[in-house]
Amino acid sequence: MDTVIRLLDRITIGFARLVALLVIPMVLLVFANALLRYVFGYGSVWLYESVIYCFVLVMAGLAGWTLTTNEHVRVDIVYAALPPRWQGVIDLCGAILLMGPFLWLMWDRSLPYVLRSWAMREGSMEISGIPYVWLLKTALLIFVVVLAVAGVSFVLKALQKLLGGRA
Amino acid sequence: MTEVLAAHLDIALFIAAIFLMMFGFPVAFTLAGVALGFAWLGAELGVFRWAQLNFLPQRVWAILNNLVLVAAPLFIFMGLVLERCRLAEDMLTAMARLFGTRPGGLLIATTVVGALMAASTGIVGATVVTMGLLALPVMLKNGYDPVAACGAICASGTLGQIIPPSIVLVFLGDFLTLANQQANLISGNPTGRSVGVADLFAGALLPGLALVGCYILYQLALTWRQPHLAPPLPPRALAEVGGGAPGESDLVLFLRALVAPLLLIVAVLGSILGGVATPTEAAGVGAVGALLLAAWRAAPQLRLVLAAGLFAAIGILGLLAFFDLRVGRTDTAPAELWAIRIAAGLLLLTCVSVATALWVTLRDGALLDVTFRTARITAMIFTVLIGATLFTLVFRGLGGEETIKHLLEGLPGGLTGAMIFTMLLMFVLGFFLDFLEIIFILVPILCPVLIMMGADPVWLGVMIAMNLQTSFLTPPFGFALFYLRAAAPASVKTTQIWRGAVPYIGLQLVALLLVAAFPTLATWLPALMLRN
Repeated sequence: MDTVIRLLDRITIGFARLVALLVIPMVLLVFANALLRYVFGYGSVWLYESVIYCFVLVMAGLAGWTLTTNEHVRVDIVYAALPPRWQGVIDLCGAILLMGPFLWLMWDRSLPYVLRSWAMREGSMEISGIPYVWLLKTALLIFVVVLAVAGVSFVLKALQKLLGGRA
Repeated sequence: MTEVLAAHLDIALFIAAIFLMMFGFPVAFTLAGVALGFAWLGAELGVFRWAQLNFLPQRVWAILNNLVLVAAPLFIFMGLVLERCRLAEDMLTAMARLFGTRPGGLLIATTVVGALMAASTGIVGATVVTMGLLALPVMLKNGYDPVAACGAICASGTLGQIIPPSIVLVFLGDFLTLANQQANLISGNPTGRSVGVADLFAGALLPGLALVGCYILYQLALTWRQPHLAPPLPPRALAEVGGGAPGESDLVLFLRALVAPLLLIVAVLGSILGGVATPTEAAGVGAVGALLLAAWRAAPQLRLVLAAGLFAAIGILGLLAFFDLRVGRTDTAPAELWAIRIAAGLLLLTCVSVATALWVTLRDGALLDVTFRTARITAMIFTVLIGATLFTLVFRGLGGEETIKHLLEGLPGGLTGAMIFTMLLMFVLGFFLDFLEIIFILVPILCPVLIMMGADPVWLGVMIAMNLQTSFLTPPFGFALFYLRAAAPASVKTTQIWRGAVPYIGLQLVALLLVAAFPTLATWLPALMLRN
């Protein structure tokens, strides 16, 4: 079980770190856009939209990492006071009863939505925008997949806690 | 029984979600999972159309594909860079050297640093923890009253939420924009006034600064009446505050740690309020400015390059004052052409210095650390946002909007009654939930109705922000108190932290009542901005 958890976490974190690097171009692009527009009155739709591309990918690609490191916001009042075994119970129940169905729904509803976008090769709303919105919308599915991968490891960790193994 | 349940499924959903969150499973998934469960139940009972869930991907996409919200990661990035380069420590040292030898000096230093950190980083936990680790031990060692010291630290830490630019105001502003559009639409006034993040920034500025003023006045009065609570520090003790780069003179420290961040804040905020830049653009500029500051501290040998970039940027602004630098026009005068060429050259210089800053921060590990943390915090916030979206979708689908409308309009006192209810609800939820979760859950549900009842959206936003800020300061559950408890030495009793917060809660309530009674306090500056 430890090996599986380690493997899943490594996949999640490796992917997330790669995607997170997009924050740097995002910062620089916004800076460049502001400067070019303000000083030279120059604006490029491509430059503007590439900011959104970075942003969407970061949001979708990192949801799993925060689950792996257990950084998702919790209401700590009860949870922190419980013994690990009960924390395991809460995590396990939550993952199966709350998170699982949500991920299923997101996947179930997003798949046709994304496929539709793919089928018509959906482009930008702007005339000279980046024509790859159909690729970008796939981020909705990426969000589900990274959360599912991290979720499996999360469930296994909860099981370990529950069974009183090493926490 | 089933009929009663079916009729009140929306309220049941709300209560169940809050209740289940208390168990401590991540809020994002609790909200989403509970909503989904109630959607299924509603569909079984015939009060929810399952097909409404088809809107989910569209809604989520609309959240992600939103240039306004890009300001959030950029402000987080800026804040983390400044935090990582120990700005708070340096500020505190500089302030302590300025005021420390006067009675009550460190209390005021704490408040001013809190306000500056609030404007530059806006991260409550970080500010409280830093000051708890740095300022508190020095204060205690030099005979400050623990109660007074803890109160000042907690209160100044919560300022981060109300003083713009703040991350929570970005989200609150964006949500109020939607709520306002909705209210306009329902009341048949689709061309009504629109509000944006910039309006909320402008609205929160005066109340935020007024709070800082109130805190300082209170601290002055306290030390004047009871000087033994905050005695002046002997000059020797100031050295123990720590901070400052090695070999820096007081003047340089003062310029770098106080004047430079202040200029950065004024530039960011000024360009937003002046209508020159969108909050997102200003945040981008702020983030790059923070990188330059960080590099300046880390690499003394490269300061020439960094300064050159800064002066080049100022030079460009200078040129802009005299010449029209827009490219791609047909009628560019020769002088303008030269000005454009010079500006392009200066721009290149700026780029070189930004690249240098990136290189410096990459080498000392700050850049990647900040990048990863920014990405994680933002992704976490957006996961909650996505969960809350499903929650709102189901709540609306169950007829929650009507219920809320009846509830708020049925309260005695019209808008006043409805506001009191909203404020109390948010205040109590503020004990358990974070600012952002409360905004994500409650603003879409409550605010359209309140706006239709006549509340000004900007005023509403400022009231919500101040209210939640007070909530985070209130024992026994206030977040700021927890942060200080974690950072304070064990000799400080928890009850001392609580008692310290009490006077500031009083000040907060007075300020809140003032803004409630005189909405102009919040709406004057945005209106002025609109006129320009």
